[in-house]
Amino acid sequence: MAKSPRKLAVERYLAKPLAARPGLSQRLAAALLPPLLMGVLVVIAYIWTRSGLETHRQFLMPTLEGLWTRAFSKPEVLGQLFNAAVTTLSIALAGLAISIPIGMLLGVVMFRFRVMERAIFPYLVALQSIPIPAIIPLLQSALGFGFLPKVLIVALFTFFSIPTTLLLGLKSVDRSIIDLFRLQKAGWPTMLIKAGFPSAAPTLFAGLRISAGLAVIGAIVSELFFLSGPGGLGQMLINAKIDFKYEQMYAALLVSSVLSISVYLLFSWLGNRLFSEWHESGGR
Amino acid sequence: MVDAVSMVFPDGTKALDKVTLAIKPGEFVSLIGPSGCGKSTLLRIAAGLESHTSGDVWVDRDSLGYTFQDATLLPWRKVLANVELLMELRGFDPAERRRIALEQIELVGLSGFENHYPRRLSGGMKMRASLARSLALNPAVFLFDEPFGALDEITRERLNDELIALYTVQKFTGLFVTHSIPEAVYLSTKVVVMSKRPGRIVASFDIAFPEPRSPELRYSSGFAEMCGEISLALRNAMEG
Repeated sequence: MAKSPRKLAVERYLAKPLAARPGLSQRLAAALLPPLLMGVLVVIAYIWTRSGLETHRQFLMPTLEGLWTRAFSKPEVLGQLFNAAVTTLSIALAGLAISIPIGMLLGVVMFRFRVMERAIFPYLVALQSIPIPAIIPLLQSALGFGFLPKVLIVALFTFFSIPTTLLLGLKSVDRSIIDLFRLQKAGWPTMLIKAGFPSAAPTLFAGLRISAGLAVIGAIVSELFFLSGPGGLGQMLINAKIDFKYEQMYAALLVSSVLSISVYLLFSWLGNRLFSEWHESGGR
Repeated sequence: MVDAVSMVFPDGTKALDKVTLAIKPGEFVSLIGPSGCGKSTLLRIAAGLESHTSGDVWVDRDSLGYTFQDATLLPWRKVLANVELLMELRGFDPAERRRIALEQIELVGLSGFENHYPRRLSGGMKMRASLARSLALNPAVFLFDEPFGALDEITRERLNDELIALYTVQKFTGLFVTHSIPEAVYLSTKVVVMSKRPGRIVASFDIAFPEPRSPELRYSSGFAEMCGEISLALRNAMEG
């Protein structure tokens, strides 16, 4: 005799009609509201912390009003901020102009000659592990107080990620793409230019973004040690402390982060422009 | 033409054991064998991508076409630039390579997709672009390393038919590595069965069906019989 079929607990699944695509204002709100609310929370936390300070220490945290009246509303302070930002930016970019080509050259050399990789890589790691501010006094003694030592400091700050990410990218080129070039008896410079660099570019750009952010930090750190020459943001920070102008110090701090973020965003944007069409990391 | 070729990997693994295989111009030979039997290695040796450790190989390297297991398109180049790549490496004149590339793209049925990046193409379309890229050099000898292995059955059969059409037009000599017996029988004038590692040639079948082959052949009893015979040989090869 056939067994009677088992009882089934049948459940009804409800259809889920497609929701209407949210309008522009809704999407903007969804994108902007969370960071805005977080910002408001930070400001509230700032005001609350300040109100907890003893009165004679409240200068450490200037009010928003003070920041406006004593810094951002004053044309001479704005001019100073602008000049300082340009100086810092030029140190940062000059540093990158040294570290990027040398770093890339080193990456290519390490890729081409395995023995060079073995020889150089440990020292790259060693270089990375030196706290760079610790060698600034030495650089000062050797090179004086001009533009060059600051640029070198930025170069040291930003160097590491360039050869390492380029090397990683070059090593990750699809084996069969290399075979494809070998079948046509392509020389290694051809392979490097037509397969290596394009294939490694997204990885390299990840490194460049890190370096770009570090470049501004490196420039400001270098200035903290050098109180001569055209003043950048770092020098402005120190001077504001000496002159007891904490509003200006905060203004310089804000401009520093804006500068750092802008350089980072510039490289991100550049990377997106170059790769979003074909790379998996790109948009839809 | 490959004579008594052996190949031992540096770690001591013996990949190929005295394989002798001569392919005459105009022949289309399929190599079939268990996984890891050295079929692909033999193909790579023939292409000069790998060195054999003893024996002799004679191949006209300058007129060689090669397709890989995947399409191997450069993801940063659009289809057109991908199809032009090999001609570019060979130093063709830019106008000439543009003309040939467009011709080949049309031949493999990819017209309209010249300006697409590979990531926007389906697996079958990528393979077509890859074929077009190789065909652009008008190779006299064409080596295929399981080119359709990653595709679904429907796409694979369609590409088999397209490959036959291309073969009929371009008259290349083919060496085709595959895991699929029907594919081997359908495409080839000869099917060679290899043993498990170290790879040796254990059986060879002439496939005498008239050319050009048409899809109806797949449903004929002769075709099924041939597939059965090769299947049996392959089974013996795996045990022996």
